[in-house]
Formats: sequence, C-alpha cells, structure tokens
Amino acid sequence: MIEPAAGIHPQSTATAAMAPTKLQVRDLQFYYGGFQALKGISMDIPEKKVTAIIGPSGCGKSTLLRIFNRIYAIYPKLEARGEIVLDGENILDPGYSMNRLRSKVGMVFQKPVPFPMTIFENVAYGIRHHEKLSRADMEIRVEQALRSAALWDEVKDKLKQNALGLSGGQQQRLCIARAIALRPEVLLLDEPTSALDPIATGRIEQLVEELKNEYTIVIVTHNMQQAARCSDLTAFMYLGELIEFDQTEKIFTKPSKKQTEDYITGRFG
Amino acid sequence: MSNTLYLRRRVANVAALGMSMFATLIGLAFLAWILWETLRQGISAINWNLFTKISVYREEGGLANAMVGSLIINFIGIAIATPIGVLAGAWLAEYANRTKLGESIRFLNDILLSAPSIVLGLFVYTIVVLPTTVLSDHTTSFTGLAGGIALALIALPVIVRTTDEMLRLVPSTLREAALSLGVPQWKLTTQILMRAARSGIVTGVLLALARISGETAPLLFTAFGNNFMTLNPLEKMPSLPQAIYEYTKDPDPAINAIAWAGAFVITMFVLILSLLSRLILSRNKVSHD
Amino acid sequence: MQADQGVIASTIAQEQRSTRDARHDRLFGWLLKGCALLVLACLLGAAGSTLWGGREAFGTFGWGFLTSAEWNPTDDVYGALVPVAGTISTSLIALLIAVPVSFGIALYLSEVAPPWLRTPVSSAIELLAGIPSIIYGMWGLFIFVPFFSDHIKPWLISALGRESCDVHEAGNVSWVAQHVPFMGKMFCNENSFGGSVLTAGIVLAIMIIPFISSVMREVFQTVPTRLKESAYALGSSTWEVSWDIVLPYTRSAVIGGIFLGLGRALGETMAVTFIIGNKMKLSPSLLDPGASIASTIANQFGEAAGLQKSALMALAFLLFVVTFIVLLIARLMLRRLAHKEGR
Repeated sequence: MIEPAAGIHPQSTATAAMAPTKLQVRDLQFYYGGFQALKGISMDIPEKKVTAIIGPSGCGKSTLLRIFNRIYAIYPKLEARGEIVLDGENILDPGYSMNRLRSKVGMVFQKPVPFPMTIFENVAYGIRHHEKLSRADMEIRVEQALRSAALWDEVKDKLKQNALGLSGGQQQRLCIARAIALRPEVLLLDEPTSALDPIATGRIEQLVEELKNEYTIVIVTHNMQQAARCSDLTAFMYLGELIEFDQTEKIFTKPSKKQTEDYITGRFG
Repeated sequence: MSNTLYLRRRVANVAALGMSMFATLIGLAFLAWILWETLRQGISAINWNLFTKISVYREEGGLANAMVGSLIINFIGIAIATPIGVLAGAWLAEYANRTKLGESIRFLNDILLSAPSIVLGLFVYTIVVLPTTVLSDHTTSFTGLAGGIALALIALPVIVRTTDEMLRLVPSTLREAALSLGVPQWKLTTQILMRAARSGIVTGVLLALARISGETAPLLFTAFGNNFMTLNPLEKMPSLPQAIYEYTKDPDPAINAIAWAGAFVITMFVLILSLLSRLILSRNKVSHD
Repeated sequence: MQADQGVIASTIAQEQRSTRDARHDRLFGWLLKGCALLVLACLLGAAGSTLWGGREAFGTFGWGFLTSAEWNPTDDVYGALVPVAGTISTSLIALLIAVPVSFGIALYLSEVAPPWLRTPVSSAIELLAGIPSIIYGMWGLFIFVPFFSDHIKPWLISALGRESCDVHEAGNVSWVAQHVPFMGKMFCNENSFGGSVLTAGIVLAIMIIPFISSVMREVFQTVPTRLKESAYALGSSTWEVSWDIVLPYTRSAVIGGIFLGLGRALGETMAVTFIIGNKMKLSPSLLDPGASIASTIANQFGEAAGLQKSALMALAFLLFVVTFIVLLIARLMLRRLAHKEGR
C-alpha cells in the first residue's frame, strides 16, 4: 500500500484521515487524439464511501470515471497517462488484466441498457463469464444481486421474461444488479438517473445509500442536489482539471475555491 | 411587366409539378401493367399439374422438379452466404469500423451488390464447374451445388450490408455495458450484439433470398438445368427461373402458359418475402424506441 | 494467510482467463476478417477468371477484338463491336428515359405529393426494383414488344424516321428525317418483327427507374430545411427551389444515382436477352434487333467451345471492368454527399 503524499496533494488530506484509500489517482492525463481532456488529476477515493464528481458538461467528469475501469480503451486514439492505484497495483499498467479489473470495478451507465435476454439471464450473464456455478448456486447469486438492487420483489415472478419489458427505473436497477452480481469492490455510476423520472431517481438514490456499506461508489452527476443528498465526498471539475475535492458538506457550504463557489451557486454551468 | 414575369414563373411551376406527377403515374402504370399481366396470365395457367408433374411431359407437364430444384439451390445459396455474410458484416461494424481496410471493403461490397450477376456465374463456372469437370474424367459437371455457390455470391453482399448497418444501429452503450462486465469481444458480438440486431439480420437474409430466387443468368452455366426430378446437388439441377426461361423461348403457347404460371409463383414469392421483411423491420423499430 | 492464498489463486485464474479470452478474441477476429476478405476475393476472382478465360481471344485478335464487328462461329472469327455497341446504346436509351422520369418521381415524392401518399407510392415504386428480371423479360417479350410494334413503332417511323432503311428505295420520309441528320437511319423500318435495341432500352429504363428515383428521393431529403425555407422566403416557387437549390446541393449524389442505374443497365441479362432480338449485326437503326454483351453470353455460352468460349469470357471481362468503373464512380459520387452531411 502506497502512502498518500499528503503534502503534495492538500485536497486529499481530509479523506485520508477518514477512511482507507481505495483508488489512488496520481497525475492522470488523458488525450482524445491531440486534445488533452484531463490535466494532471490526483485524488484519493476512500473505501466504502460515496464520492460524487460534479462539474459543467465537458469538464471531463465522465471521462475520468471511464478511466477507472478502462472502458475508454475500446475506442481508438484515446490515451491515458499517469497512475491509478487499486489495492496497490496500477490499473493503467498494460499488464493489468482486463478480466480482473472489470470483476473488481463495476459500472452503470447513463441510460439503462439491459441485454436482449431474460431478466435472469441479464444478471447471470456476467457471472457466468467469471465463475462456474451450479444451477442452484446461480439462482441464489442472482436472487442476492436482485435483492441488493431492491428489484427482487418486483421481478421474482417474471425472471423468464424479456428484460426490455421492464420500466426505465426497473431496467436501471437491473443494470445495478448486473454490476454487483460480479461482487465488485468499486461501483462506478455514470449519471445513473439522468434518464429516469423523479420517483425512480429517489429509489436509485436510496439504493446508493444502502450499497455504500459494501462498495466503494463513485458517482458522476450533473445534478448538484443529488451530489449533496447522497455523497460523502464531492469533487468539482472544470475544463479537465480537478478544482476542489473535499467533504461534500464543506464543498456545498464553504468551498475554498472561487470557481467551485460560482458553480455551486449557479453562476455558470 | 412584372405581372407577366409572375405569370410565367407560375406557369413554369405548375407545368413542372404536373410533369412530376405524370412521371410518377408512368412509373405506377408500368408496375400495374407488369403485375396485372403476370397475375392474369399466371392465374389462368395455374393447375395441379404444375405442382405434381415434371418438365419432361411438356404440354401436360409442370414445374414440380423446377420448384424443388429452386428450393435446394436457394437453400444452398443462403446456407453458404448467411454465416459468411453475417460474420463479414460483424467485422465491418465491430472490428474495422473507420479503419482503412474496413472502409474499402464496405465500399467494394456495395459495388459487388450491383455487379452483373452473369459475370459472377462465369466466375463460379471457372472455379467450380471447370475443376470438377477435370476431376470427373471430362464429363462436364454442372451441378446444383455450383448453382448454389453462384447464388451465394449474389446473396453475400446483401447480407453483409444489412448486418453491418443493423449492428451499427445498436447503441454503443450496450457494448460498453457488456465490456464493463469483463465479457470478451467475441462473446459480446455473437451473444449480445447479434441478438440485439437479430430481426434486422433476419431481414437481410430474407431480402437476399428474394434477390436470388429470381436470378436466372448465373444458373445457366452452373446448375444448367434438366427435365427430371433431381435431389442430388452433385448433379445438373433444374430451377424455376431457368424453366421459365426455357419455356418462354418455346414457340408453343401451351408451354408459354406454364412459363407464365411459373412467373406468377416467383413474383408472389418475392413480393411476400419483401412484404415480410418490411413487416419485421417496422415491428422492430416500434419495440426499440 | 489462507485468505491471501485464495486471492492469489483467484488472481491466477483470472490471468488465465484473460489470456484465453485474448486468444479467442484474436481467433474470432481473424475468422471475421477472413469472411470480409471474401468480398474482395469475389471481385478479384470475377475479374481474374474472366480475364484468364478470355486470354486466348485477346491473344488471337488483340485490339482488333474491340473494333471488329464480325462475330462468326463458322469461321471462328470474333469481334466485340456489335455486343459492345448494343450494350452502350440500350443503356443510353434507358438513361435518356429513366433520368427525367426518376427526377419527376423523386420531386413528386419529396416536394409535391401530400404526406399521406408518399409512403405508399414510394413503396410501390420500390416494388418495381424487387420484380425479378426474368419477369420483365417475359412481360417485354409477350406483352410490350407486340404492343410496341403495333402502336408505337409505326408512329415513330412516320413522325421521326423513314419507311425503308434503304435510301434508294421509295417510301415516305418524315419531315424530321429530311432535316435532322441520322434521324432517318435511327428510325427506319427494316421490316423486322419482335424485339429491338429500342424496346430493350425502354424495358431497361423501367427496371432502373426505381434505383435512380429512390437515390434521388433520399438525397433530396438531406437538403437542410433552412436552405429551402430561405429560398421560399424570397418568394421562390416549389419548382424553382427544386431546380435552383435542391438539385445543385445534391448534384454529386444525383449523378451517383444515375451511374448506379447505368451500372445496373449495363449488366442486366435476362430481360435484355428476351427482347433485344439477338442479332449479331451492326445496324444504325434502333428499331433493328441487336445484341448486348450479357445477352450474347447468355445465348451462346452453353453451346460454345474453344475460341468462341474464350471470346465470350473476354466479353464478360470487358463488361465487368466497365460496370466496375461505372459503379465505382457512382459510389464515390454518393459518398461525397454523405461526407458533406458529416455522416
């Protein structure tokens, strides 16, 4: 375990005191072809807490999230430099196995994307790729995942039905179930409620609150109230830079940077 | 002065729009004429013999062997073209999208789509019929299989193109969602993307079937045709379009009538197929949004 | 310690799975690429096999193969001029008819027709493209050619041409034929029955109309509404907007659509074989029977041997190269508009 260099990264001192660090980002640069989208990001994301990333659109918050499980690597001409240390190993190291990374870091996307199969298969599909389970074990595992995602009661009688028949909010919870079925350690949520109505959004936020007991959660949101409601820490990004990263309460009550204050109070964004 | 200008412009406008309506009517009139004649001549010639008798009986004959032959040859063509076309389309959409080689092959596939089918027939004649002729002691070995291969070459670009287009319509979030679970690319492609684009791919296969079931030219020098019921694809094989071709050239009107009946059967088959594929596509669109 | 070993074991398992996945992905990628390369192989194979098959004819006759109008199986002498000329003239006639009609259809469907009528009419026109070419051939042979001979041909001769093709023979000569050069020769009566170059061209026109009109209609719809609206705001009429704004904006794609139709017309086999008359003789009259490359191959290849077979292969090679170039131009032109659209 690498000790965080507190002196060089003053914004992360608060987090280090609170909980052990799960993801350690060190001087992360990101390029889209010739364009530099992230400029020297460093932050320590604590274990079993909810960390929110906010900022105006185009600030690089989704880009940052998409580096945490290297999903960006499926597109050509994208390049990340720097270090992201997960449990003592740099996940940006080309030798770090994708299978390992993706079983440790789960992701839920903006729009619910159920696979074109049954509800049961949607959850079982990912597990099957990482573990060989008996039929009975698989059923238990799927039920656990659906229960954790607070979906079990609604779908237990129609596990054999096509997942495309669920409502938007149910689909999104199915996607969360699918992600946590792999028993990841980190859960990345990329604006998970942007396509949902207020009631469905409330349920997802409630779910995030419950899930943080077991998972390290990083959530990207354009909705400041959401960040204030359900995160422990908040990072504010602007034009590819990390402006401020601190306890959520502090960011929303007495931010130390002028730009953060302007954004929080709605002067731009 | 300006009044006459306005008048002239208005007359020009009305005349041009009238001409455009007239052009559309011409197109529709020819469609109606062709379909009407096929229907009229075809239905009056349809009888039981058509489906039970084979072509050796001539006037009292039918098209039973030609229909069976067509089914076999079309099946061979689709059975060869579907896996190759779907995989090639998947490569264009998933592996080579926006690469130089991918773009060139997509481009060339579009050209193959409208290449003259008779030349493709001669190509298969050269690479299949001629070598097997040499192997079988120089008895010219036209085969149903060779006909099927020739039709496969015509069906291939249709299937490649639809698969490519349909896969590119699948939202990239589905790819990301699967990859974020650690699913490898080949599983993603075969188990998720192809399933998501399934109805579109099926449409492509149906369109390809519609396209090849009326093809005559490439069969002339590959399947060659005969007058008997043939089930062995390694022999000369008759087919419906080719039987129509032979029967149309005949001076006897009674035999021409059998050709019309065959034309009616093929036209109905092709129209139903294209209707079916449209139906699948429209239903698919509704369920996806 | 126990837990550590468990973690290490599962890490090793994951590494093994990753290597296996990577290997499968690579194999799968090669399989897919191989299938895609078959498309390339088809085109190269079609060109290569016909060139190889035609090598004897090319070698025997050299450039004379292209310029000689003599096609004589008895003396084993073959020249491509008659079928080449037949292919070009039928295709040009087809374009001459199909281009304005297709433009009219596209204009009607994109600007004039009431919205509820557009889908059914355009589907009906597209249905024309789905009808197999052999049906066009039958319809042409049994229905259209007799109709043409009875009603259109006499009218064409009396209005544009000459009653007899022999200049020294007596017979009515139309006013047009007296004043416009070549008209008399193009529309003179050889007393032939059945199909001719002109009927083949007309049927080809019907066959390629759906292709050209659907391309035109599609590209007309890509013209930005604001562009059309700003022209309408200046007081332009529908026709003026179409001719001055829509057509120039989509010019490259419209030309692409026309070339696409041309490519189809050049290679069309069965319909032409039925109605062109299949006569290997060069004649200036469009009312005379002739032959196209595709119809010559379809008619003769089955019974041909030796040099004749090679000459037919050589013809196929010529046809393939020409259609390839035409279709290449068509696709490049179509792509130009797609790039402009940023697609």
